[in-house]
Amino acid sequence: MSKKLEDIFGKCVSRMLQGESIESCLKDYPEEADGLKPLLQVAFTINKEASSLLSAPEFKARVLSQLQSAVSAKQRRPEKKVNFFGWQRRWALALTAVLVVLLTGAGTVAAASDSLPDETLYPVKLATERVRLTFALSDVSKAKLHTRLAERRAMEIAEMARQGKSDAIPELTQRLVKHLEKVSYAVESGEQVVDEGQLAVPKVVPSPAEVAAPGVKRGKGVRELKELLGESAPRSLTALENAYEQASQATKAALKYAIRESRRSYEKAMQETAPEPLEP
Amino acid sequence: MPSEESVVRRAIEADSQAFAQLYDEHFDKIYRYIYLKVGDRGEAEDLTQQVFLKALEAIGRYKWRSIPFSAWLFRIARNQVIDYLRKRTRQMTMVLDERIVSDGTDPVVVTERRLEVQELLANLEKLSPAQREVIYLRFIAELPIAEVAKTLGKSEGAVKALQYNAVVALRKIFFREENE
Repeated sequence: MSKKLEDIFGKCVSRMLQGESIESCLKDYPEEADGLKPLLQVAFTINKEASSLLSAPEFKARVLSQLQSAVSAKQRRPEKKVNFFGWQRRWALALTAVLVVLLTGAGTVAAASDSLPDETLYPVKLATERVRLTFALSDVSKAKLHTRLAERRAMEIAEMARQGKSDAIPELTQRLVKHLEKVSYAVESGEQVVDEGQLAVPKVVPSPAEVAAPGVKRGKGVRELKELLGESAPRSLTALENAYEQASQATKAALKYAIRESRRSYEKAMQETAPEPLEP
Repeated sequence: MPSEESVVRRAIEADSQAFAQLYDEHFDKIYRYIYLKVGDRGEAEDLTQQVFLKALEAIGRYKWRSIPFSAWLFRIARNQVIDYLRKRTRQMTMVLDERIVSDGTDPVVVTERRLEVQELLANLEKLSPAQREVIYLRFIAELPIAEVAKTLGKSEGAVKALQYNAVVALRKIFFREENE
């Protein structure tokens, strides 16, 4: 009986949520109508009260605009597929690096290092970073480089905010978060951190040194990484917070998101090396 | 009108119009769900924004057959809220006082609605966590039973029972209050 009532009640709720009246549904179940009516009225009241909660239309429009910018950026940069032949991509990147230097000149690569996301040389900057990650041999070296790149992303966010270009901030924030996730991953698992867009692949065969003295070399590297994170995190967060202080109202929303995500990611990365949370 | 499945497929291929359509369809429900759970408009806006950015980031890995899109989106929202609430140290009673309703400009109407919503939330707190979650997803987010079941990882029968028992319990609470 109870199960039958639960079913009928569920059906009437579905019909009510689609705009039908309570009475119209109860007509189909006259025997249960008396018991169900007060319950459906409770359900109706909850739904009606909740429906009155609306966000500010300008907020909804602003988020949509940020999402559309992020979708456009995604169209320009299709998602990379993970494949078994990840190593081929590493060699392709190395070759690309050589070609970039040969074709555009070392000066271009150097000039790209200061470029911002809306500038022509920015893809060269990212390509150069990927090459550097490819050539970082150990997981700790990669993690250190990811830490420096996360700080670089933070500075770019601050600069884009200063220029009032808030559309670029969500994607830059995601990049920053990804760098820090890779730091966390390296410390947490001791597995190999690989290049952006690829899955981390566990080391199949440990080196003789690792077999002989597991964790010793790694312990020193992790301490250095901890120090680097300890210096880099406040610099990044301070840059973002300073940018927030001076930002327009429209840019503040994007920066708030960037600060929150960066803080969370730095905290997670630092918790892997030290239990203390970041100072507020 | 294209089916949601075809819209989702286009969104996966980075079609900005398709993503905008999904956003428009789900935004208010996600916002409402988060707002009622965290009780602060600013935080709810931030979290809602994060849900959609995370969805955009992860949509390439979404598989239509394994879970309906709205259930997938609400899972992201639910995880965001759980993560947020875990970190928050403020007391729930303080949060309830901050809740406001934004659908009108008449201060009297706004105050009345605020009180009603606060009362409702206070009553929802008396339910078990599972019952409360079903109420949020079913009556506030308006998800169908099957999608609530997918979001929570429960059977449809279990969700129906939780929904029914939650409303029976709320009815008793309302009835008791009316007679006090």
